[in-house]
Amino acid sequence: MEDLPPPPDVAGLSLDGAETYTIEPEENARLCRSTGAEPASDGTAHPIYYYIATQVGMGKTVAGLCAACDFDIDDGPMMVGSQAAFTHPLRIDTPYRVNGSIISLTRKRSRKLGVMDLLEYRLVLVDANGEEALACTNTWALPRKELA
Amino acid sequence: MKVGDPLPTFTHDRVSPDAMREWATFLRDDNPIHLDPAAVAALGLGDRVINQGPANLAYVINMLHAAFPSGTITGLSTRFLGNVRAGDCVVAGGTITSLKADEAECDFELRVVDGEPALAGTATIALNQQLS
Repeated sequence: MEDLPPPPDVAGLSLDGAETYTIEPEENARLCRSTGAEPASDGTAHPIYYYIATQVGMGKTVAGLCAACDFDIDDGPMMVGSQAAFTHPLRIDTPYRVNGSIISLTRKRSRKLGVMDLLEYRLVLVDANGEEALACTNTWALPRKELA
Repeated sequence: MKVGDPLPTFTHDRVSPDAMREWATFLRDDNPIHLDPAAVAALGLGDRVINQGPANLAYVINMLHAAFPSGTITGLSTRFLGNVRAGDCVVAGGTITSLKADEAECDFELRVVDGEPALAGTATIALNQQLS
């Protein structure tokens, strides 16, 4: 990697959200049906909201997160991994707050993508009582065509 | 139910561009590769719009819910391996890798019919009264 310029130093950058995020019952129902499932009748939301709620509720848009890494979203960021640990099932009509930060941005050479940066960030969803509902760590590949 | 057992598969017959437009609003993400075939072609990624990765994972979650109707998903670890495109038929499946009285662990995969795996990973499910 010595021949490549270092990636931006973004480790530790806050992704705390400014506003709460609430899973609306009507949207949850549409989402479930779009995947071929019926919404639960017990007030729980589809678990994929772990990803949606944290992405929408964090303090940056996806484009803004890419921009913080000096990357243009139009250059095609790719999801490569996601890990989620649920403390409680997610519920509709419940306001959640997102806390989080960038863990690392690491520059690598890839046979498939050429030069790329691996972006890893962690987000936590907290309910109104301050209880953690889940934590997730997402990893994206940011292809650096200009360095290939 | 025992270690090594396959989980019943979940099939989504046709991935729809209309659903991708809905997911763009759910995710507040209007990346054109999910909305505009011309944008996909411009990136050299084919001629059909590409499904959002979280939507692909949602099919797997549906499979897990059907396999463990009294269970609660407590952990997911996912590797995104390939693209699912408009019109594709996808099948989610898995295998039990660990089984205790109160918890199961599974490997899972989502595969495009006649194509490559789109994602793979592991799930942990709290079984509640599933095995009583």
